[in-house]
Amino acid sequence: MTNTIIFNIAILAGKLAYFILQITGRQGTALPGKVAIKICPDILGDLTKRCNKIVVITGTNGKTTTNNLINHIIGGKYENLVSNLKGANMIQGVVTSFVVNTKSSYDWGIFEVDEGSIPDVTHFISPDHVALTNFFRDQLDRYGEVENTIKMVYDALKTVDSTIILNGDDPSTVQFNKLSNNKIYYGFNKNQFSKSNHDVAEAIFCKNCGNRLNYEFISYGNIGCYYCENCGSKRPNLNYVAQSIYINDNNYEFDLKINMGNDDKNSLNNDETIEKGFVFKYMGIYNIYNCLAAISLCLSENFDIQFVKNQIENFDYKLGRMETINFPDKNVVLVLSKNPVGLSEVFHAFSYDEEPKSLMFLINDTHADGKDISWIWDADFEQITDIKNIKSFYCSGTRANEAALRLKYAGFDIAKIKIHVSKDEGDFNYPINEMLSENVKSYVIGTFTATPEARKILLSEKAKSEI
Amino acid sequence: MKLEIVNMYPDILNLYGDIGNLICIKKRCEWRGIEVDVKDFTIDKELDFQNFDMVLIGGGSDNGQNIISNHILDQRNSLETFIEDEKVLLAICGSHQMFGNYYVNPYNEKIPCLEIFDIETKSRKDRLTGNILISNNLKSNSIFDSVSTHDFNDIIGFENHGGRTYHSYDTLGDVQVGHGNNGEDGKEGMLYKNFIGSYLHGPILSKNPHLADIMIFNALKNKYDIDDIKKSILEINYIDDSIEINAHNNMKQKILKL
Repeated sequence: MTNTIIFNIAILAGKLAYFILQITGRQGTALPGKVAIKICPDILGDLTKRCNKIVVITGTNGKTTTNNLINHIIGGKYENLVSNLKGANMIQGVVTSFVVNTKSSYDWGIFEVDEGSIPDVTHFISPDHVALTNFFRDQLDRYGEVENTIKMVYDALKTVDSTIILNGDDPSTVQFNKLSNNKIYYGFNKNQFSKSNHDVAEAIFCKNCGNRLNYEFISYGNIGCYYCENCGSKRPNLNYVAQSIYINDNNYEFDLKINMGNDDKNSLNNDETIEKGFVFKYMGIYNIYNCLAAISLCLSENFDIQFVKNQIENFDYKLGRMETINFPDKNVVLVLSKNPVGLSEVFHAFSYDEEPKSLMFLINDTHADGKDISWIWDADFEQITDIKNIKSFYCSGTRANEAALRLKYAGFDIAKIKIHVSKDEGDFNYPINEMLSENVKSYVIGTFTATPEARKILLSEKAKSEI
Repeated sequence: MKLEIVNMYPDILNLYGDIGNLICIKKRCEWRGIEVDVKDFTIDKELDFQNFDMVLIGGGSDNGQNIISNHILDQRNSLETFIEDEKVLLAICGSHQMFGNYYVNPYNEKIPCLEIFDIETKSRKDRLTGNILISNNLKSNSIFDSVSTHDFNDIIGFENHGGRTYHSYDTLGDVQVGHGNNGEDGKEGMLYKNFIGSYLHGPILSKNPHLADIMIFNALKNKYDIDDIKKSILEINYIDDSIEINAHNNMKQKILKL
């Protein structure tokens, strides 16, 4: 234990920072932790000793959703949780969650951690579980390359004895199979949403022999049932499998196959059970992977499967991840999107909605968003022409012109594009009000800094509309 | 009229939206009524370059470059002929480096390159990253200029490279804001006949339609009579570039303010 006096001063200083942020109306998700770490650098190690169990969630896409899902399931059984639910996922954000909610003990600490902060975090703590969502190219001007990110996470996980919960369908994590940790795999069986070709055209090469990988089927991006024709390596046997996925009344329904044995995936054996009728009510096939990560964790911690199933079904999104904001005369759906695979899948999800609608893309280029916005050219904007009944497409944010440019080159009708270049990362009042004046459903897609700003404006407009 | 384009290693060298260069060329041709046929060329799908009018190659991760490095060496002679025949080739970032004599990676290992040009690249771990503004040395005699709504004398992009590239050929432009080839001599990119090498992503052609138009015109000129090009294209189709112009000018102001 660090010097108790310094520890207490650090917590107090963090609380003070939080208090000042609150009374000045700012969000206090990272600064309080930053202040506390400054005073007591190894504070995270001391704080996490107060947790009976610790879960860390990392990966490129789906961290916040998975974190919220796990909180929702575990929070249904346990009262004392500590978590960084608002998505501040650097080490400061993790420390902040303790600073603003100080208790002497917690049943569970559940944290999403940015891939780049994993080495910092594992330096101080050895989580009981680490859940990996996926690895895609994201904000590369910050980390260099996705291979470096994967290696950084791999090296960090070698130093802890956590159980690792892995997306078995993600070929970029195949090297994690070598880790001596206990491992649990989740993934899909072939279903009606499976594709045969890459929609984001990026080849993946076998980590063993360098040959191009083939797929029995692809779920999205590079995620799918992969195998190497040359050396015979293939996706690992899955323990938690979603199958028979279909859409019913805008909800996803799927069956869960559980196989804790190590036999080949197709052979029926005594270890195998199937639980039918899981329901998740938000769009995007990638969300079923997030559900699987949460389900794998909770079932391996011996939560009751009926309870887990109910919690998945009654889960409500918050904080701009496919969150629906209801206005008297229309609904607005807010989605965070910050990399090519994510954005391609968001457009794909919209194509299931044939109602008249307007779309809005808010693209900022602050440091947190990534100063390089060229990734929008890797996203499959071309499928915009498959989305029916788009009345208008609003482009805003600090790089609004380039969103419009991307749409133009994707073959979208430029007469429907409305451009508003923002003066700063939250300057969306004008386009949002124009969008709200149209009596059709709206989808708002925003980058990392744009989404919370848009959410603020939407909630304040909603409050006004209800007076 | 028709242009046949090779999209080289699209599944491996595809970092930072360089696929957008192909999208730009393709659309600007289609809007002018020029037919475009694109063929992918990759490690298990080869083509004879001599049947094509344009080659586009993007940048890749170190891993991606390792995968293609031996394969591209087998294409050395056909690529050299393609360039000497004044065919149009755009090579961005890592693929530009590959046309030189060698590439020294951050671990001080010398990676053999195509040796088509006397270019040397040494990589360092600290990367040259950020928005970049350069002047435009690419001379245009394009007939599209007469009906163009843009009149740019500079080029805008985003650079992100560990490699420092040195050569004594003509350059694409002088660096006004940013790092360029090596962060030392104030030069960016390379020009030789209709070969363009550059570190600029963005993708480079999206906010610089003048470059795309010069490339399209040079490719057509290799194949068709100028008067025919005029007759069949100029009098029919005109491109409204106002979104491109706003995107370019907005970004230029933003870069100059920094």
